[in-house]
Amino acid sequence: MIYLYAIAEELTGLPDVRGVDGAPLGRRSVEGLDLVVSEHDGAEVAASEEAVLAHARVVEGLVERADALLPARFGRGFRDEAALRDAIEGRAASLRDALAQVRGCVEIGVRVLAAEPAPPPATESGRAYMEARLARSEETERLARELHEPLAALARAATRTVGATPRLLLSGAYLVEPGALEAFRRRVDELEAEHSELTFVSTGPWPPYSFAPGGET
Amino acid sequence: MTSVPERPLEQQITLLELIDRVLNKGVVLTGDVTLSVADVDLVYVGLRVLLASVGTLERLGE
Repeated sequence: MIYLYAIAEELTGLPDVRGVDGAPLGRRSVEGLDLVVSEHDGAEVAASEEAVLAHARVVEGLVERADALLPARFGRGFRDEAALRDAIEGRAASLRDALAQVRGCVEIGVRVLAAEPAPPPATESGRAYMEARLARSEETERLARELHEPLAALARAATRTVGATPRLLLSGAYLVEPGALEAFRRRVDELEAEHSELTFVSTGPWPPYSFAPGGET
Repeated sequence: MTSVPERPLEQQITLLELIDRVLNKGVVLTGDVTLSVADVDLVYVGLRVLLASVGTLERLGE
C-alpha cells in the first residue's frame, strides 16, 4: 500500500523524519504535482495517536520545503502506483486550484465557547418551548456571524461551523497571509475584549488542513 | 486563578486541534484505501478522554 501525506508544488526536499509506522518517506511526481508517500506491506496502517502524530510531523516538516502544500487526510492509501496516479490525474485541476489558494498562507484556528447555557425555562407549552429554542438558535447564529465576519475579512479564505456542540459557538478556520497575521491576531484580541462573556481559543499557524479539498468529487 | 497551570492545558488544546485536523480535514481522493471506522474510533476514544480532561477550557478565558 502507498500511504499519502501531502500534495505539493515545487518541493525542494524531504524532511528528516520517518513516516507512519516508522516507514521512510518517498516522493512521486504526477502531472507536475509532488506527492509525499511511504510504502507499507499491508493493506492498511493501524490508527493510533502515534500514527496520527507521525503523519502530522511529516506534513509540518514539508511546509517550509514546498512552494504550496495540501496535507492529505490521515489514513489514506492506495493499492499501487497506478491507483495513486489515477486518483491524482482525475483531480489534478482542482488540486492545482487549491494549491494556488493556499500558497504562502497559514491556517489559524479560532474557537469561541459560550458561557454555560442557561437552564431551559419551565415552559407551559410545547409551542413556547419551540419558540424559545428558535430564538436561541437565531441568537447563536447572529453572534457567530458577528465574530466570524471581521476575521474572514482579514483572511484569503475562511470556513466556519456554528453550534457544533451547545457551547461551541464558533469553530472557524482562516487562511491568512503572513503579512496579515499580526492584524488578524489583533482583531481576535479585540473581539475577545468586546465579548468578555465568551472564551476564545486561537491556535496555529497550522498547515492548511481545512482548505484542502475534501471527499466530494 | 494564577496558580492554574496554563501551559499543559494549552499544549493539550494544541494537540486536540492538531489531531482533529489530521483526522477530519485534508485532501481526500477517490480510489483510496481507507482505515476502517472502528480504527479511527479508537483514536477518538483517546481523544475524548483528553477532551474531558480539558473540560476546564473555559478557565482560560478568566
